[in-house]
Amino acid sequence: MNLDIIVYGNVTLFDLILVIMIFIIAFIIGKIISINLRRALKEKVSKEHQRSIGKVVYIVLIIIAFMAVLPILGVDPSGIVIAAGFLGLVIGLASQSILGNLIAGLFLVVERPMKVGDQVEVEGVTGYVEDVRIMSTVIRTYEGVFVRIPNETIFTNKIANLVAHPARRVEWVVGIRYRDDADRAVKFIKQVILEHQFTLVNPKPEVFVKELADSSVDIMVRVWLPSTEWYPVRQELLWRSLHHSFQEAKE
Amino acid sequence: MLYRRNCCGEEVEKALLLDKGQILINPVEPQQKPKTLTPYFLIEFEKAVVVPPKAKKRLYLKFPIEVGVFVTGQDDFNVLDIFTVQNQKFTLYGDVREGAICEHWKSPVSQTVPPVDTLREGVLDLYINNLTSRWIEATKVVMNAYGMKIYYSPTMVSMRATMKINTPVVAEVDFSDSPMYTGMTKAVELYTARKIKIAATKYIMEWGL
Repeated sequence: MNLDIIVYGNVTLFDLILVIMIFIIAFIIGKIISINLRRALKEKVSKEHQRSIGKVVYIVLIIIAFMAVLPILGVDPSGIVIAAGFLGLVIGLASQSILGNLIAGLFLVVERPMKVGDQVEVEGVTGYVEDVRIMSTVIRTYEGVFVRIPNETIFTNKIANLVAHPARRVEWVVGIRYRDDADRAVKFIKQVILEHQFTLVNPKPEVFVKELADSSVDIMVRVWLPSTEWYPVRQELLWRSLHHSFQEAKE
Repeated sequence: MLYRRNCCGEEVEKALLLDKGQILINPVEPQQKPKTLTPYFLIEFEKAVVVPPKAKKRLYLKFPIEVGVFVTGQDDFNVLDIFTVQNQKFTLYGDVREGAICEHWKSPVSQTVPPVDTLREGVLDLYINNLTSRWIEATKVVMNAYGMKIYYSPTMVSMRATMKINTPVVAEVDFSDSPMYTGMTKAVELYTARKIKIAATKYIMEWGL
């Protein structure tokens, strides 16, 4: 078979077969990368986002293949590249924040400073992470309010993940009067901590006189708790330790 | 039919809409109370044990009993209630950054089977296999509740586990699916009854012994 037959212009039959081969290879590589990317992101993002990211990568590969075959087909790609570059610049300027959010979303997926279900504090918003989307992250505050934060805001600001580590320390100060018995107060705060089921045995809790203030003896209480339980347990311990220490110190 | 339980600081009442079926009560993996926070269970030894190089030693520990109430019928189990009379706590095994929250229990260490109050404590038959050529001091054992195999009789609740010490700071803990004494009944496993997919049953202690 003669592959040097001219189809049009300077394009031969060989060139056409080459273009078809490049596209087939690009399709195959695109599919493989897309499938592997979805697998890699399986645990990190939702199914919907896996599909979207896979599609974007696939389309980008096809565009690269298209640009690569243009010279073979006798089309000068420089004009298209310039036009595409100009179009890109216009779109980029017009959608700067959208692109920023998109890129920040991709970085959040890769870096994973938080995952769905975590309790976080971002830009003064504290609550549970409901969803990490490509453009934004949804947080449900403790009051039950739906808050959508653009990913760019999250990525460029401080994120405090309250449950990233298995345990966290909470501390508070109990002030007693100078005429009260500080030893007894310390003893009973320790007892309250010991009896509570969620206070960790290790790291050990600390209870000590922190300061002799102007009008009170301040007792510092430091307790380690499972990260997921810190808030209700802290509230409970705070009340119990205050109540007990006052009762006991007075007696 | 009415199920009512009033003990351990709780009152539970459930109406059972069943024509036929059975109630099964047996000990379950001790990590449901006060709350299922973690599948890991740490038993701290009251005294550290020192294991000679390449030695295989058996010791007995106590663990808290949690009681599961199941309703059975049509070849299926459903967990009705879980309770314990013990006051369990939690602890952190390992580093604050990457360690694991575990249910915590402190137990005396014995080389003979200790006497126990069947409603409160069971016996863990722990077989320690020191694979290293060094003397090892162990102060705790951490187990994965997904792998627990509990057997019971009217006089005892028991589990059997093996602790393979691979290095002075790393050990592998796994359970044996066999009773301490013949004639003991195997307890219904909570994770089987709840149809939970189990990823791993062993626990690798990598934060020290």
